[in-house]
Amino acid sequence: MSELSVNHLLGIKNLTYDDLQLIFEIADQFKEVINRPIKKVPSLRDITIANVFFENSTRTRLSFELAEKRLSADVINFSSSSSSVKKGETLLDTVNNILAMKVDMIVMRHPSPGAPHFLAKHIKANIVNAGDGTHEHPTQALLDTFSIRSKHTSFEGLKVAIIGDILHSRVAISNIFALKKLGAEVMVCGPNTLIPKFIHTLGVQVELDVMKALQWCDVANVLRIQLERQQIKYFPSTREYSLYYGINKAMLDSLDKEITIMHPGPINRGVELASDVADSDHSIILDQVENGVAIRMAVLYLLASVRSNQ
Amino acid sequence: MSFLLKSATIVDQHSTHHLSKKDILINDQGIIEKIGSIQKADAEVIRSDNLTVSPGWFDLRANFCDPGYEYKEDLFNGLKLAAASGFTAVVPVPNTKPVIQNKNDINYLQRFNGQQTVKVYPSGAVTIDCKGSDLTEMLDMYHAGALVFTDGHMPIWNTDILVKTLMYLQKTGGLLINRPEDKRLTAFASMHEGEQSTVLGMKGMPSLSEEIMIIRDLNLLNYAGGRIHFSTISTEKAVKIIKKAKKKGAKVSCDVAAYQLVFDDSLLHDYDTNYKVNPPLREKSDQRNLIKGVKEGTINAIVSAHEPQDEECKKLEFDLADYGMLSLQTVFPNIVTASDGNDLELFIDKLTYGPRTVLGLETPTIETGNRAEITAFDPDDTWWYGGANNLSKSHNSPQLGQELKGKVIGAINGTHHHINHFVKP
Repeated sequence: MSELSVNHLLGIKNLTYDDLQLIFEIADQFKEVINRPIKKVPSLRDITIANVFFENSTRTRLSFELAEKRLSADVINFSSSSSSVKKGETLLDTVNNILAMKVDMIVMRHPSPGAPHFLAKHIKANIVNAGDGTHEHPTQALLDTFSIRSKHTSFEGLKVAIIGDILHSRVAISNIFALKKLGAEVMVCGPNTLIPKFIHTLGVQVELDVMKALQWCDVANVLRIQLERQQIKYFPSTREYSLYYGINKAMLDSLDKEITIMHPGPINRGVELASDVADSDHSIILDQVENGVAIRMAVLYLLASVRSNQ
Repeated sequence: MSFLLKSATIVDQHSTHHLSKKDILINDQGIIEKIGSIQKADAEVIRSDNLTVSPGWFDLRANFCDPGYEYKEDLFNGLKLAAASGFTAVVPVPNTKPVIQNKNDINYLQRFNGQQTVKVYPSGAVTIDCKGSDLTEMLDMYHAGALVFTDGHMPIWNTDILVKTLMYLQKTGGLLINRPEDKRLTAFASMHEGEQSTVLGMKGMPSLSEEIMIIRDLNLLNYAGGRIHFSTISTEKAVKIIKKAKKKGAKVSCDVAAYQLVFDDSLLHDYDTNYKVNPPLREKSDQRNLIKGVKEGTINAIVSAHEPQDEECKKLEFDLADYGMLSLQTVFPNIVTASDGNDLELFIDKLTYGPRTVLGLETPTIETGNRAEITAFDPDDTWWYGGANNLSKSHNSPQLGQELKGKVIGAINGTHHHINHFVKP
């Protein structure tokens, strides 16, 4: 297989196992490219990509922009702070205005779940979901699983615990879909108020005790507390959260095995992760960031191939 | 105008002709002149392979958006639309702008009564602007013609207001309708809570938010007396709670939206905002139990819950889109689908006797000499729901563009009538 089964990357849910493997294989090649002295290839030199961000983002946007530039695409950036969205323009109008400037692909982050799906129904450009509200963040899950793949030999039977604010996390849902498709076992852990009531229907285990989750898993993907996305109170204080759900080195040392620690960033140091864990040998947090560029290059490259074959 | 309905199966449990196939002649005075075998008459002949007639249908809940949102629908158009959908009477919700909350507003809604096929039975708001804090002048509205009092889309969340309303309305027999929803449990949610909301990454409205309000209101009813009607129930457990309360003698009734009998939350998979309704589309098990509730009689009425929205309110991100679906013209096709070829007369009963009994009104029976208030339909015939056949001013229906089984032929109400002439796609 040399082509994705989809025209857009809206979510991991829509991808097949073969899609995931193809993205990983292409990302392997691009990872090699970005470690060369000349880090650029001409693959997308006739493609214009708009990064349309209706929510704040630093690392995801930088990572996409870098991936686009490494592929020689023309890049334009748009963010809600400088947009006409606040003047009452609809999402569709905003995006159609951008497309009228002959843009081929849209990378979009948006606070509404399903916003990229909505867009995909109404416009012709290829869409990459860079995070839609509390729904999916597919490139994050791809880079997370890609990072796990470089550390562990197989996903089959691998135990991955996702720890933290599951309810407000698009990373959690995308990771669950990706890990399950690849054959891993998944557990979610956090305060019960931050775990969707029906998460078990996705075939994951639920654990409320973080120590038990650490004992169970081979990989712990620790999520940020999304205070900005919590419209109402779900726990009393970050102090109490860090006391009962934060992970520190003493906890890891008490385990009879070594586990891999991941975090999609940005880390609230001292809240969900102590610095001595974030910076330890267990942590592959910076590998995730590096892999993010390779994964995003692979996704953009593969979607552009689908486009040119249409 | 006179009508001759040829070989029509009569579905009317109170008629001596119930479930028999007869010709029906309605004269130009709007009176049923003859029921039997009629070979020839100076009348417009209505035929269809499986022509069926019943007493005129009664809708306990539709939004005609008038006054205030006439660009979505208006009263005049709404009445035409309701007649084309088979209805001869409608209770519009009071959530207009301004809210229907004084006798002038009630008179405004009745201004076409007697001139159209469809009669409006106005509902008045229980609280000023449906905000839940201060009571409206309900007795005054009752004497102006309001039989129903409700805050429409807004649940009456204040227990004290609900108790006082139940007590206050006992003087008249006016009906209190509440939409059971605990707004705290549904805050920031825009669909049903379950597997699908988890997959779609959206906060869900738990079934509990409806059930807990029903239980609460039944307790308040027990204390205050009077009677209560729950509008557009949507969960399996809601049906069970109401069934149990009825058994114990509580003066409670309820209705369900026709589309809840055929749609479930799996249809939201691609965030189609036309399926965004409140109460939300729930799960298949809820759907099955709602149908059972209709057949058993726990659910007294089927309503359209017609809620037109313009494109600006619907062509949006799912969480930003407004609630509502065009649903008057699809009531009958959806009922035909829900009945699946069995017990259609039980469903029709929930459009005829059911709602009128809830309001304490008599149902016009199909007998010689009676004033004709009749809906004619063919459950086997199909029609195309689209283009000029969509009679609403809005287009927010997921069923638009589809060939639908179950065709309303027309409605006759005395000397007024509406006969559908659908175009092909």
